Amino acid sequence: MSDFTRRDVIKTTIGAAAVGAGGGLLLPRQAMAQQAPNLPIEKGATLRLLRWSQFVQGDIDTWTANTKKFTEKTGVEVRIDREAWPDIAPKASVAANVGSGPDIILDFFDVPHLFADKLVDLTDIATYIGNKYGGWFPVCERYAKQGNQWIALPLGAAGACMVYRKSHVEAAGFKEFPKDMDGFLQLCKALHAKGTPAGFALGNAVGDGSWTYWLIWAFGGKIVDDNNKVVINSPETIKALEYAKELYPTFAPGTLGWLDPNNNKAFLDGQISLTNNGISVYYAAKNSQDPKIKAMADDIYHANFPIGPVGRPTELHLFSQAYVFKYSKYPNAAKAYLQFMWEKEQYEPWQEASIGYITHPLKDYENNKVWSSDPKSLPYRDTVKNMLWHGYSGTLGPASAAALNDYIVNNMVAQAASGSKTPKEAAEEAEKRLLRIYKS
Amino acid sequence: MTADANISTRVDNREGMQYLETIPHRLVTLWIPLLIFLFVLLFPFYWMALTTFKPNSELLNYSDFNPLWVVEPTLANIKKLLFDTQYPRWLLTTMVVAVAATFLSLFCSVLAAYAIARLRFKGSETVGLLIFLAYLVPPSILFIPLATMIFEMGLYDSMWALILTYPTFLIPFSTWLLIGYFKTLPFELEECALIDGASRFQILTKIILPLSLPGLISAGIFAFTLSWNEFIYALAFISSSENKTVPVGVLTELVEGDVYHWGSLMAGALFGSLPVAILYSFFVDYYVSSLTGAVKE
Repeated sequence: MSDFTRRDVIKTTIGAAAVGAGGGLLLPRQAMAQQAPNLPIEKGATLRLLRWSQFVQGDIDTWTANTKKFTEKTGVEVRIDREAWPDIAPKASVAANVGSGPDIILDFFDVPHLFADKLVDLTDIATYIGNKYGGWFPVCERYAKQGNQWIALPLGAAGACMVYRKSHVEAAGFKEFPKDMDGFLQLCKALHAKGTPAGFALGNAVGDGSWTYWLIWAFGGKIVDDNNKVVINSPETIKALEYAKELYPTFAPGTLGWLDPNNNKAFLDGQISLTNNGISVYYAAKNSQDPKIKAMADDIYHANFPIGPVGRPTELHLFSQAYVFKYSKYPNAAKAYLQFMWEKEQYEPWQEASIGYITHPLKDYENNKVWSSDPKSLPYRDTVKNMLWHGYSGTLGPASAAALNDYIVNNMVAQAASGSKTPKEAAEEAEKRLLRIYKS
Repeated sequence: MTADANISTRVDNREGMQYLETIPHRLVTLWIPLLIFLFVLLFPFYWMALTTFKPNSELLNYSDFNPLWVVEPTLANIKKLLFDTQYPRWLLTTMVVAVAATFLSLFCSVLAAYAIARLRFKGSETVGLLIFLAYLVPPSILFIPLATMIFEMGLYDSMWALILTYPTFLIPFSTWLLIGYFKTLPFELEECALIDGASRFQILTKIILPLSLPGLISAGIFAFTLSWNEFIYALAFISSSENKTVPVGVLTELVEGDVYHWGSLMAGALFGSLPVAILYSFFVDYYVSSLTGAVKE
């Protein structure tokens, strides 16, 4: 006690008082954060929303029904236009450049970062929704925030999981789906030996090619570091590519040219027993009119991606978010609409109708009954929680978008896996391509 | 009968180099290449037609069903296309846009090509070259500035947005094609008309255009086909489902995430390609003659 001076006593007392006062101040602040932002809707407001075409019919039906509820409540008419999901980005670019078009766009990945200065600040509604529903998963802030400002509102991700035939996996000697990379490789080898191989897209597949990111990240490789310095050509990446080289001979023939639909077709055709995919394969089988494919549904199971030497999940999924353009005449109406659609009363029925195709971005929504009504969908529940952003571990923006759109990681893995280049050569080429992008 | 007698009675009716036309020779130089061409050109249509009538069970199962044949044909894919989507509307829109853009482009191209080919003004050759170079500017670069104009003119999300922008790539090509065609027409015809007192406009409408029918049809078919298949402008400038064209519409409605409704997609592609195929078949003679030259001097 001899070291405890009078000055220390004063400091401690002031500190304790400050904490007490702060605590008192914090409580009402939190309560206030759950109060909906004041968004006086502009007179005569109408909105146009451009969103991706439905993945499942229930999605668009419920989205439209929720929108109708919003119109009945506020009087704001909302027109919904749809495009195939890879075609949203060019339309968004046109709208951003010409300063006219839809008020709200529902898009994928980091597109809003390409024209962040042209977007309405959504911090108030994002903060309100986040506080009300247990907070956003970490990756959401990466995708939706620029600095401290929310430029978009995360909707969730069309998550991918390992989709497998349980009977085939068991026949290959595995009672459970492996949770680590060694076990996964052994499983693929055993499946191949049994004549029921795995198949993963190695072509320029937008969604299903994301397993290549998982592979690189699982071994500690990444395209750039925290300061956006290109670090793809690393021992970790080489290790991942050597793994890919060992994995590739276990695949069904033709995976080098596979795009997004190929693995679905091969799986339902019985050519492969294991792939990565959204929940669509399972539901296509479950709802099939063909008794043979329908019977397959009972044998289809899902698992999260195995965890690599880095010791934590390293997944990448099709992340979707909404943003509002500044040129909109009715920004408050647009924000009110988004807020309404993200509220539990609307979001959960919509997610349920989407049969788990879209995984929520908010922690409280993991109790949605869509995850418990069919236990097979459960692994998809955690896909947003488990995912990293595609520009990991750098920032998102034009460079990360270009790297993704140029399929640099996909191509690097394909080259190394197929043996057209050694792992070292493939990593060097990827490095050159990334340097061109990140330097410009 | 001796062997010599046989030889002497054999009549050889072959003329010129016909003695070279043996069966193996014709097989190698004619029939095999022809069959390969036919296969390459017709197989996509066969595949489209086959997939259109295949039920999903056969579409996915190559182990139990022959991929090149359909065992239990179905009309379900066509029903889905025609009744569950706005395909008839998209087809109509595509037709209207393609026809209007083609006529507009041909009108402008005829005037431009005639001026460049016949009016001997300074720099006409350079102008002709520049027009062709304009064709080389890709639509993926042009669509953003064009979008600004479309929005400013209030044409966004209407058929006019396409009718007025398609000529940006149709006119340069058609003009270049017609310049070449007009150049093959003899000058003397026009000179005679001039002596008889015809104006330039009368020469164009009463002499040049009737003689250029194969060239016009050829340019028209090209323009129509390019308009019919165009994607990027139709995607960028049209928003509402009812105003979409076939190439954009089918992708929006028949691709759900990574689930492709192949049967209906192929039905859409098949029906979409029929008008172009019919057009070609009607005008194929003109088309060929336009490529082999105009009036012989």
